[in-house]
Amino acid sequence: MTAVTAPGTAAAAARRPVPPSIRRRQILMSVANHSVAIALSIAFLLPFVFILATSLMTNQQTLSPNIWPHPFAWSNFKTVFHSFPFVRYTLNTVTYAGLATVGVVLSCTPVAYALSRLQWRGRQVAFMLVLSTLMLPPQVTIVPLYVIFVRLHWIGSLKPLIVPLFFGDAFTIFLLRQFFMTIPQELSDAARVDGASELQILLRVIVPLAKPALAAVALFQFLYSWNDFFNPLLYAGSNPDSWTLAVALQQFTALSRGVLWNLQMAASLLFVLPVIIIFFFAQKVFVEGITLTGVKG
Amino acid sequence: MRRRLIGLIALALLAAACTAGGGSSKPVQTVAPNASHAPLTLTVWSNFTSGEYKVTTNALNMITKKYPWMTVKHVGGKEDTAIERSISGGNPPDVAISFTPDNAAKYCQTGAWQDLNPYLQADKIDKNAVWPAGVFSYTSFENKQCALPMLTDAQGLYYNVDLLKKHGFSAPPKTVSQLADMAKKMTEYNPDGSIKVAGFVPLFGFYSSTTPNTFGHAFGAKWYDQSLKPTLASDPNWAKMLQWQKSLVDAIGYGKLQKFAASLGGSDSEFSAQNGFETGKIAMMMDGEWRTAFIARDKSKVNYATAPFPVDDAQADLYGTQLVGGTIAGIPKGVKHPAESWLLLKFMTTDTSYLTTLAHGLKNVPSTFETLKDPVLQNDPHFKTFMDVFQNPKSTFKPITPIGIADVDLFGTFATKWQAGKVSDLTAGLKALDSQIAKQQTLG
Amino acid sequence: MATVAERPAAAPEQVRAAERRRRRRRSAWHRQWVALAFMAPWIIGFSAFYVYPMASSLYFSFTKYDILSEPRWVGLSNYRFMFTSDPQFWVSVKNTLWIIVFLVPLQVVFAIATATVLTRVRRGLTLYRTIFFLPAMVPLVAAALGFIYLLNPGGPVNRILRLLHLPQPLWFVDPRWTKPGLALIGLWGIGQVMIIFLAALLDVPRHLYEAAEIEGANPWQRFRHVTLPMISPVIFFSVIIGMIQGFQYFTQAYVISRAGDQTHPVGFPQDSLLFYSSHLFQQGFEGFHMGYAAALSWVMFIVTMTCTVVLIRSSRRWVHYQGGFK
Repeated sequence: MTAVTAPGTAAAAARRPVPPSIRRRQILMSVANHSVAIALSIAFLLPFVFILATSLMTNQQTLSPNIWPHPFAWSNFKTVFHSFPFVRYTLNTVTYAGLATVGVVLSCTPVAYALSRLQWRGRQVAFMLVLSTLMLPPQVTIVPLYVIFVRLHWIGSLKPLIVPLFFGDAFTIFLLRQFFMTIPQELSDAARVDGASELQILLRVIVPLAKPALAAVALFQFLYSWNDFFNPLLYAGSNPDSWTLAVALQQFTALSRGVLWNLQMAASLLFVLPVIIIFFFAQKVFVEGITLTGVKG
Repeated sequence: MRRRLIGLIALALLAAACTAGGGSSKPVQTVAPNASHAPLTLTVWSNFTSGEYKVTTNALNMITKKYPWMTVKHVGGKEDTAIERSISGGNPPDVAISFTPDNAAKYCQTGAWQDLNPYLQADKIDKNAVWPAGVFSYTSFENKQCALPMLTDAQGLYYNVDLLKKHGFSAPPKTVSQLADMAKKMTEYNPDGSIKVAGFVPLFGFYSSTTPNTFGHAFGAKWYDQSLKPTLASDPNWAKMLQWQKSLVDAIGYGKLQKFAASLGGSDSEFSAQNGFETGKIAMMMDGEWRTAFIARDKSKVNYATAPFPVDDAQADLYGTQLVGGTIAGIPKGVKHPAESWLLLKFMTTDTSYLTTLAHGLKNVPSTFETLKDPVLQNDPHFKTFMDVFQNPKSTFKPITPIGIADVDLFGTFATKWQAGKVSDLTAGLKALDSQIAKQQTLG
Repeated sequence: MATVAERPAAAPEQVRAAERRRRRRRSAWHRQWVALAFMAPWIIGFSAFYVYPMASSLYFSFTKYDILSEPRWVGLSNYRFMFTSDPQFWVSVKNTLWIIVFLVPLQVVFAIATATVLTRVRRGLTLYRTIFFLPAMVPLVAAALGFIYLLNPGGPVNRILRLLHLPQPLWFVDPRWTKPGLALIGLWGIGQVMIIFLAALLDVPRHLYEAAEIEGANPWQRFRHVTLPMISPVIFFSVIIGMIQGFQYFTQAYVISRAGDQTHPVGFPQDSLLFYSSHLFQQGFEGFHMGYAAALSWVMFIVTMTCTVVLIRSSRRWVHYQGGFK
């Protein structure tokens, strides 16, 4: 495993004359590295290619040995919209993911602030409790929660999914707390000397500085909710009007005995597309956010 | 925490005390048929899909002619667990249809589906005058009638006349040995050794009719004794059936059969136009009477005939019987309009013109004495086989218990292990299965 | 503020000190209230959605409860059934162990491997990184459905295997091949973990490698004695998260079991896909044995907590933190 070369030393190395044998080894290594990278890339991309290809085939073709669609059945995407209430499911998913994101950002910011920038009795204990909920299997709470929501008549709606997220989420609190702790105390102190209340400090000093972290947690929550299957299945699964795309997609197989793979793949692609689009536009936020969780953890 | 726990227990005991005492039949509301009524839409949930869904929807809409104020919204693709979830979640459909009568005992005992006896009494309906005795075994439990049959089913043998003739057979098999023999002889192979056309696919878990339950019936095997204790080990016919099945699987080749099943599209293909029998890739198959409708709907060109399914050579008197019992319907707990639900359910289970239309469309066996007289079904040679099987008094459904389909599922998992050769001691395995099922009854 | 003039007896500094102490106590009190106000959303959420349900589920675990009627106290009967009469319990435990003991380490190794590949290419790094990361973005349901199609006995993967004259397993139809199929999905979606390892690998101080090279260490020794210890915090993090998620593995198994037929039991075929959460879900929300499901969930909780604590304790021996804090 050769070490990673920092830019400075590479330039220095380039200035020194490199003996041809070493140069040859370097080229071979580079070719080898790139070959592996390319092979891996093909492996990672191939499923996408096949799924895309299948989504453009006619149903007969999916069962035949042909790998390439002939002709391109773009109409499959239209059929998906017509054969089941795709728009409603998308709306449900957007509602769930959107409101969940709003709730999480609104509720976790003050909590993270209190856990990172305020001194108070019980702070350590509270933080331990927050962390403990991170490791808590949700299964321990779903049976009673389900019963509570039955009594509230919320089963079959999206409310059980959204409302709890307005009361904090351990992962988000953790991330924001870590980030808030990196903001220098002097800024808060200066504001306090100026007579600002804690709320004002939070809103006027911390939040503007924390925009990258807030963006990251908002993005994480949105995507997590968009992809969520278990919770919508459990709480909204009994009412098709409240299905999110994840649940609808899984139920799709039941609606047409004898699976229509082309339509199934087309519907899956439509489900995945917004995520991919968001990803491409917000790549940097993503990668930085993930590093925030892992390395500084 | 402890205080809360005690508080919860106290609350629960109190609640239990308060709700005790229900059980005697409360007077039920019914709707006078000719009275005027505000327009109402009732939802019906079933597990019908595609063609069957359309047929059922059209038939259900017939009720609007009788009661102009009622419209029915039929939602398909709802299997039993979906219906159960809606009942526990507090927003059930007005009428529920299930393909799994095994669950009826559970519904009756927990009250998930309401007891219909008060409604039947209020409308002065004599159960035994409307429905043949056999249907009550899978619609009631411990004196609660929580479901009624909406048509019914019977299992039988479908065979491809052309393929039989091709291999020199002029008549369908009557015993299981004949079936095995013909199955082996009629299996055609590809050059690479894989199966091209199967004589018979004896794999459990392949299509919905090849189950230990249906095969067991051909051997006269009994699930439970009088006290509902499982008898899978003590009744020797089960072991006999399993040995017969495995020897046939091994003779053709387990791996080859698996590959063949997968090449057809697996279980997915059963209700599609790629069904192995309909496309001429399987020569003989056990299936329900609904297959005749599917063959017509899918415009399959298979030249087929039907006959009773073969039986154990040593029990020839079983010939002409098989598993019977099918779709049931009921009123879930917590419906908003019980009287109207009953009106709809009564229509769905007793109205002769509705049931006849539905029977013609779905090709299901009629469930009331009136509809059994229907000449169209009686004169359909393919269909008559199943009518006769249903009316044979030795044809039964399996006994239902409050564990629902847990017994069928447990046996199914065991059977797939067995056919793969993973069970070394069959007797021990069946004994263990018995004790599993018995223990499941205690969990409740 | 007239107190000072009204108390001629006490010395002014003492009075001022007392005043300061009072103000500090008041402001400490005030600070406490402000902090609690900021914490309020979480405090309410924690009580309502964690504490209460946990107590409630502990209670339910000692009852027979199907929601349609009131809970009935049955003592330890659920736990007894779980350990002595429910073969599916042990199957689900075995399957879940497969994930935690086999799949999670496999994923960590693969993530380190792919991240290492990324550290060694200079041109096109962003492109490769994007490609490797992209599958992790795909929702689990879509990924599962996609792989059901890809690993269909007659599907693309088997067609390629046939071209290469390799055996073509029946994948999700064959109980022996369902978990390897899941492993493929798990490895395909390794992107998120890989990114964390990439950052960690790039963070390893170069001088350590140079020092090792000078001492004559070969690439494997450099990896074992420099890289691994340096990225051990990330390995620890990934293993813990992987383990916690492994106990909760559900979506892919559920989607794949039910793909052919929604009436299949949740572990189809042959319970090979019956994981602990699947078994819990089926018992609680399809069989309506809610008391039993609650009992299953408490056993899972205790086991998860124990494993986490064990792992954290053991980490002191093999996890090396730069700077030495934590």
